[in-house]
Amino acid sequence: MSDQKRHGSLALDIQGLVVEFHTLDGVVHAVNGLDLSIEQGTTLGLVGETGAGKTTTALSVLRLLAQPAGRIRAGSIRLDGEDLLAKSEQEMGKIRGKQVSMIFQDPMTSLNPVMTVERQIAEVIAHHTRLPERQAVEQARQMLETVGIPGERGSEYPHQFSGGMKQRVVIAMALACSPQLLIADEPTTALDVTIQAQVLEMMKQLRQTYQMSMLMITHDLGIVAETCDRVAVIYAGRIVEYGTLEDIFEHTLHPYTRGLFDSLPNLEDRTARLKPIPGLMPDPANLPEGCAFCTRCAYATDQCAQHRPERFYRTQEHYAECHRCRQICFEKGGSAVWE
Amino acid sequence: MGVTSTAPLLQVNHLKKYFKTPRGTLHAVDDVTFTLEAGRTLGVVGESGCGKSTMGRAILRLLEPTGGEVRFAGEDVSKLSPAQMRAMRTKMQMIFQDPFSSLDPRKSVGQTIAEPIRLHRLIRGKQERQARVLELMETVGLSERLVNAYPHELDGGRRQRIGIARALAVNPKFIVCDEPVSALDVSIQAQILNLMKDLQEKIGLTYLFITHDLSVVNHFSDDIMVMYLGRLVEKAPSEDLFSHPTHPYTKALLSAIPIPKLHRETKRILLKGEITSPIDPPNACRFANRCPHATDQCRQQEPPLRERAPGHFVACFNQ
Repeated sequence: MSDQKRHGSLALDIQGLVVEFHTLDGVVHAVNGLDLSIEQGTTLGLVGETGAGKTTTALSVLRLLAQPAGRIRAGSIRLDGEDLLAKSEQEMGKIRGKQVSMIFQDPMTSLNPVMTVERQIAEVIAHHTRLPERQAVEQARQMLETVGIPGERGSEYPHQFSGGMKQRVVIAMALACSPQLLIADEPTTALDVTIQAQVLEMMKQLRQTYQMSMLMITHDLGIVAETCDRVAVIYAGRIVEYGTLEDIFEHTLHPYTRGLFDSLPNLEDRTARLKPIPGLMPDPANLPEGCAFCTRCAYATDQCAQHRPERFYRTQEHYAECHRCRQICFEKGGSAVWE
Repeated sequence: MGVTSTAPLLQVNHLKKYFKTPRGTLHAVDDVTFTLEAGRTLGVVGESGCGKSTMGRAILRLLEPTGGEVRFAGEDVSKLSPAQMRAMRTKMQMIFQDPFSSLDPRKSVGQTIAEPIRLHRLIRGKQERQARVLELMETVGLSERLVNAYPHELDGGRRQRIGIARALAVNPKFIVCDEPVSALDVSIQAQILNLMKDLQEKIGLTYLFITHDLSVVNHFSDDIMVMYLGRLVEKAPSEDLFSHPTHPYTKALLSAIPIPKLHRETKRILLKGEITSPIDPPNACRFANRCPHATDQCRQQEPPLRERAPGHFVACFNQ
């Protein structure tokens, strides 16, 4: 089956994902028809602001959405060709940690404070391999060495480690069963910048050693530039622009992506005034009919308010969901490859 | 911005703040000296635990300093009586990091902004006070209809605007901004930074801007000081610091910033070694353990802060 083959080359393939949360205040539309795919061995950056649906997307892949409020309404999620939404809870238990792992943002709250770190890592190993505890702990210590922590520190508790060390422990735990896909949700946001540099460097090396694919969730375009091969920009639960690193950074299409870049202070021209995006992201419980960005967009027309935009493809791969893209690109002199 | 005056607005001399802990004395701020002129912004950068927030609070006497003096417009703040200090607080204010926990959840926007006006008895009449609240809301870009809203109804950016309006309510000259934008998304962060800059130009505010975000501090400050484990290790005009970082710690810090640009040759300095404990620190350079250039002298003596170029101060033996 050619369809099967196509899925086979993708580490992760999400199509048309719709996730809702049913709350007392109404239905929150967190993810609204999201497409996302990661080729084997590559890193995809998922970039967006608070509430855009980044973490919800990640939790949907692991099937860890808050129950019973969170519901996957539509769409498919395939991990290495396998349909995750068709799996039973028991089957998911075998997949989490083994085929796909996740690193959470805050290392302080993702470790168990009353368990030594080696036992926490050994727990994952024992769950997936049925190794006897002693051997599992031995492997856990080796994992600690891999992430740059002396093995004998494994018998210590999380509070005895610094923030950067704790995040290394979390990474060791995520990689303990060599998953094919690693989801990293803002893995360095809670860390200081010099420690962040160390952790990112280590993750880059480990990704090569383990030949992993990675979904890097972040709001920091600097981290994207350093770690990712492709980039997906998410806004109000949809991918509004997707392309290679070069496409996104040097041939930016979507006005929202442009706005993200313009909001950042420029290290080379420190006096340049910042150009923030006016307004706020729409309330996910009350999304506009047309383009979700139209209320903040300087280029919006009546059409934008009424109809959801189609994708505009600049190249075979690079697209943006925007009615005005073609025009905007000409205005800013983007005479690049137009078909 | 270029308001020049003869005496600096703020003079901090040998400021110290120690905390007693079961394991010894923690030197959170250790012998920090600097001056800040009216109308300018001094950025304070450093990593968590370097003492930057403690210093901000010690300057405002929200924490009682252990030693040293803080002179505001020539007056020694650390010697003021509680009543005098209360009056002084109309000149010195603070904007806090977390717009979620720094606002009283049971007070409306209007009540929150009116509170300092009421406490300092600046405007007695209720109607005049309300008019002033609305004026302040307009200044910080909050729509008038939000006057009766409560913090939980508002997003982080709007809450931070309330925090700014509250600080401005007493017409301060000087504001300590403790990580005012680090809890905000980039697009909102830019809105708040622009607002703070406009306010500075309009009312001639002086800022002490504490942050861990180096690209923000570079954009926002005239001068920058770098702190490491309670010590001031380098201070220079922003452009100078970024073009000629001198202290090895500053160099490592600047090289670690992820830059949102492609095809950049980055020579990243990755620091190794354990961080020295700030509890009863040895008489040595506190960065020596992680410093690639450390010598015996660095491990036996504390390097003094010296002026290497006009306005550029560095505490390092080897640079």
